[in-house]
Amino acid sequence: MNGLVKQRVAGGILRRGLATASQTPRLKTFKIYRWNPDKPAEKPRLQSFQVDLDDCGPMVLDALLKIKDQQDSSLTLRRSCREGICGSCAMNIGGRNTLACLCKIDQDHKKETKIYPLPHMYIIKDLVPDLTNFYQQYKSIQPYLQRSTFPADGKEVLQSVADRKKLDGLYECILCACCSTACPSYWWNQEQYLGPAVLMQAYRWLVDSRDQAGAIRKNMLQNSMSLYRCHTIMNCTRTCPKGLNPGLAIAEIKKAIATD
Amino acid sequence: MLIVPLGLSRGFRNGIYCARNLNRVLAPALPTAYATKRLISIKPDFSKFKLTPPPPGGVVGGVNDAYKPPEPNHFHGSYHWDYERITAVSLIPLTTIPLYTSLSGGVVHPLLDASLCVMLILHAHYGFMSCIIDYIPKRKFGLWHDMARYLLYGGSALAFYGVYELETNNNGIVDLIANLWGEDDSNVYMFGRN
Repeated sequence: MNGLVKQRVAGGILRRGLATASQTPRLKTFKIYRWNPDKPAEKPRLQSFQVDLDDCGPMVLDALLKIKDQQDSSLTLRRSCREGICGSCAMNIGGRNTLACLCKIDQDHKKETKIYPLPHMYIIKDLVPDLTNFYQQYKSIQPYLQRSTFPADGKEVLQSVADRKKLDGLYECILCACCSTACPSYWWNQEQYLGPAVLMQAYRWLVDSRDQAGAIRKNMLQNSMSLYRCHTIMNCTRTCPKGLNPGLAIAEIKKAIATD
Repeated sequence: MLIVPLGLSRGFRNGIYCARNLNRVLAPALPTAYATKRLISIKPDFSKFKLTPPPPGGVVGGVNDAYKPPEPNHFHGSYHWDYERITAVSLIPLTTIPLYTSLSGGVVHPLLDASLCVMLILHAHYGFMSCIIDYIPKRKFGLWHDMARYLLYGGSALAFYGVYELETNNNGIVDLIANLWGEDDSNVYMFGRN
């Protein structure tokens, strides 16, 4: 009896395997931006790779890792969590800044997919941009609670449910830099304009009822470059892979400091 | 004592930073300071016209330094934004009322007409100023940024003089625009066509 079941299962697997093998593989072309800092004289180029969609996970990151494992181990990219919570694999896929791990592969294998690093950034290698300036800007908004007084009982600083609700849609940001690098204002003035991601975090600490440094935070933005290079282009909101709205947060900051 | 932090510095950048400090300390004692620039020279100095390239990797300071925002100035920040909104919103009644008056055959009061002109110029001025800050930033263009600003100030001043001419020696901008439709232009010479 047991032997019969084994035979049937094995036969089934064999048949299915054969059936799959007889089909033509759905080879999809990925054109990937390549640049190697070890050969600085060579111009950046797009390299084509073909991946069988029947033998690959559903997301672009799966395809990229498959290429790196099986075709070209020198392909360089950042990735970590593969579930959209670390923000490492931000890149420009098919003309849109998004996380490779959250971006489904277009199943039409006749169309090619182009993958570039985040636009208008200094590139370290292949799909890896230099985010030093981005992190410097994030550091400048002092992303931590600042208080001059603390509760007398020495316990935690409490917050009402309504005040906590104000942080929804702000705290979920994972700082993948998709929105900032989608912003034309940030492309032209990234040395001085903070960009949507950092400004949304500036607002996150501004509206936090537990923070008492609001006046200092607002004063830091009182110049022509840090905040007011935002012209409500709204590419940030359009591209955010987490579905957040940095454009709204920037508008709220402008409203908050309009009568300052 | 100066050599110890050099040897201990963890990063390459720190090393450079220390070396720079070292130079600054020793600079007055070095003769090179006199050799680089003469006191009197007839050779013109064009260096201030040159564009400033961005720092390597767009990074100013060390990798762990925070970005330093410009000095706070309300007139560059929220006031400027407020003026932009005020001029934009005030243009809504300032265009609709003269349009209605003119279409219904009335005459627009010169003060209303003048305020429309002034707000229009201010609105355009703030818009162009925004463009200059966006595309000719002082960070990169230096002197050219200032020149673009002065050019805009000059243009706006000229436009204000034009408004004065229009309101005193003419019938105002609403009348001027209305005449585009109203006046007989069969004999107007335009680009070689009669």
